[in-house]
Amino acid sequence: MENSRVPKESFVVDGDSRFPSFKSMSFGYRASENESLPSWNGELGFGGNDRRFTFARQSSFHQSAELHTPISIISNGSFQPLLSPSVSSIKIPPTVYPQLENDNNWKGYQKASDGEGNFSSEKFSFLLFVLSAIRIIRYGNRPMKRLFMMISLNVAYSTAELFIGLFSGRVGLVSDAFHLTFGCGLLTFSLFAMAASLKKPDGVYTYGYKRLEVLSAFTNALFLLFMSFSLAVEALHAFIQDESEHTHYLIISAVTNLLVNLLGVWFFRNYARINLVYRKAEDMNYHSVCLHVLADSIRSAGLILASWLLTLGVKNAEVLCLGLVSAAVFMLVMPLFRTTGGILLQMAPPKIPSSALSKCWRQICTLEDVLEVSQARFWELVPGHVVGSLSVQVKKGLDDHPILRYVHGLYHDLGVQDLTVQTDSV
Amino acid sequence: MIKSGKAVKMEDQSPHQQQIIEISRNVSDGGPSLGGVKVCGEAPCGFSDAEASLKDAKERSASMRKLCIAVALCVVFMSIEVVGGIKANSLAILTDAAHLLSDVAAFAISLFSLWASGWEANPRQSYGFFRIEILGALVSIQMIWLLAGILVFEAISRLIHDTGEVKGFLMFVVAAFGLLVNIIMAFLLGHDHGHGHGHSHGHDHSHSGHDHDHSRDHGHGHNNHSHGISIVTHHEGQSKHHDEHDHVHEADLYEHLLQKSSEDAQRANASDEQKKKQRNINVQGAYLHVLGDSIQSIGVMIGGAIIWYKPEWKIIDLICTLIFSVVVLCTTIQMLRNILEVLMESTPREIDATMLERGLCEMDEVVAVHELHIWAITVGKVLLACHVKIKRDADADMVLDEVIDYIRREYNISHVTIQIER
Repeated sequence: MENSRVPKESFVVDGDSRFPSFKSMSFGYRASENESLPSWNGELGFGGNDRRFTFARQSSFHQSAELHTPISIISNGSFQPLLSPSVSSIKIPPTVYPQLENDNNWKGYQKASDGEGNFSSEKFSFLLFVLSAIRIIRYGNRPMKRLFMMISLNVAYSTAELFIGLFSGRVGLVSDAFHLTFGCGLLTFSLFAMAASLKKPDGVYTYGYKRLEVLSAFTNALFLLFMSFSLAVEALHAFIQDESEHTHYLIISAVTNLLVNLLGVWFFRNYARINLVYRKAEDMNYHSVCLHVLADSIRSAGLILASWLLTLGVKNAEVLCLGLVSAAVFMLVMPLFRTTGGILLQMAPPKIPSSALSKCWRQICTLEDVLEVSQARFWELVPGHVVGSLSVQVKKGLDDHPILRYVHGLYHDLGVQDLTVQTDSV
Repeated sequence: MIKSGKAVKMEDQSPHQQQIIEISRNVSDGGPSLGGVKVCGEAPCGFSDAEASLKDAKERSASMRKLCIAVALCVVFMSIEVVGGIKANSLAILTDAAHLLSDVAAFAISLFSLWASGWEANPRQSYGFFRIEILGALVSIQMIWLLAGILVFEAISRLIHDTGEVKGFLMFVVAAFGLLVNIIMAFLLGHDHGHGHGHSHGHDHSHSGHDHDHSRDHGHGHNNHSHGISIVTHHEGQSKHHDEHDHVHEADLYEHLLQKSSEDAQRANASDEQKKKQRNINVQGAYLHVLGDSIQSIGVMIGGAIIWYKPEWKIIDLICTLIFSVVVLCTTIQMLRNILEVLMESTPREIDATMLERGLCEMDEVVAVHELHIWAITVGKVLLACHVKIKRDADADMVLDEVIDYIRREYNISHVTIQIER
């Protein structure tokens, strides 16, 4: 990758010594400057020194070429091979990094999905559904395939349960089947989000479809909160009515449910944690799916435990177990809910400490020509992709290009990829 | 936001188009020097300016009042049902009381979202808390879906438990009562004619010219108002122009005012699709909830009546419930789509990004426009960010002002960040 790095000497901005020697502002890739902000660097889990890999996974976030009107590149010849011609001259260019694992799979998926023309999410025809199912099976990456397998397993199981319950007249089975069906619907939405987020940004969705994964994670978390709440209500109900509703057939279904869900947890075992650092959008989605199956399995385990305790003769076993399960699911889900809610609420990215932001602020303000910096707003599109906008007041009659590049470089170090800086002259 | 010093220009007998340009010129000129328009004094700027936030606050308090009354009514009815259900020892009545409880929960969520969206912006939430509205609406819609599912499950369990304990008559009466309650609340939440123009012009002076405009606005609003997923037509720019005229407050501008308002009204009629002001999304969500409940009550009523007359046709109850649940879900789809579009940071539906880009490129000094992003923080508040590449010898400030004016004039987006590059 040596040839892709721009020699630092080529970075000259009109002979200005006004700017502090911000060496890492080589217009391409920083190599070993770890002067800024090591505090959040460790989270990203790559080798600390090679900060190029910090943004390795961002290559999928950059917008496609069709979006931009082609412009002439700045005349600095050495930049020619690095910049894609349609990117703004100020923008730090997308990197040309080695492909991620599974990228070949994704390419096949993308080709297939692009080849279909307008895969509009609004046309829900059955044919489209079958086609997309086939596509997922053939081209999807591993989590998608596993999720699809899980969903089909769950659907089969819940349909069987529903019919058995209907024909044998057992309401408990039917309610369990409904619960499973809701869960399946949500998992299908997660799968759909995984598939749709691979689409390239277009005219209407200028930021792409990655947000859909965050949205599906949020919906999953919401459903789990509802479930915990309903379990609490059920516990209360059992407490008041003081009867046992669980007979032996429900235990069988609970055991089967537990097994199916444990399989799901095994599939997504990387994400079986409560507090997770999210590096990209899919992390959130997978985490939510894992928590979903985990919560389901906890619920089944709780039911089994309750019935066992009842046979042991423990009073109020059901209330205890249901209450425990409800509390456990709630605690499990709350961090995910809060994080996804934060992203959807356009909150400032939690990964970038506000001290770093104010440090950048101060650095910009110390420039000679800058009078004021205002309306600095940053938000996270998906974990790892920060967008920001900023307004800088400069003295009149100055060339703002160096200032722009400086500001862009400054924030790029923090991880803000898309930045729009408005320079007002006074 | 007009500066009174330059307002004198408007006394000329100039055509309205020129007037518009004059106004926006004044605003942009006054901007940097006063530091009040474009630049905020402190680090994290509040998202909206004083005028818009006042309008917001009024609208919010009106919506909150409506929801509070709805919640109070719901609680009253629910307690009646609970008492009646315990006395009659009927599970059906208690189930309906539980449904009303869910209504209360949905309203509480909407109320909370409304209240929370008025919180001040802080460095963590640099855009303010307007998004909470959208999230709250999403949560209520999830609840609607959940309740529809629960109702279908209940219908199925009614089918299974055909031990004859289901009393069709009781079901019918309870559902009728629920329907009545829901219809009352639908009227309460949906009826916003009184508030429609009251809030936005509330801070105007008692200028009789404005009353003329009110009736004309209201007339047009009426034509496009329909219950359900309704949108009240309200020319967003009108209030601003009226305010500016208000400050000038000249008698000989009266005719200009009326002419202008008629022109605006015509424009409002013509550009209906462009400038639509939606009812507050939380009130709309609560309204949908109530509507869904009434539709389902009708379904349960029909099922109860059928079971009452012919207790062996139980399957029809289930079919009815299924059909009506599907109807309820269909009513939520439109709102869900809006919510999804906002949450996905997509270009709002009323703005055509390609046309905007083309219009910008048609300007003289602009060579290219890229990285154009238009997104909404909530329904009605749109932001824009883009990079504009200009010719080398062009005056950056002028181009910046022109671009900002153009966007504000044509598309009514006021929160723009433009990066000018050569």
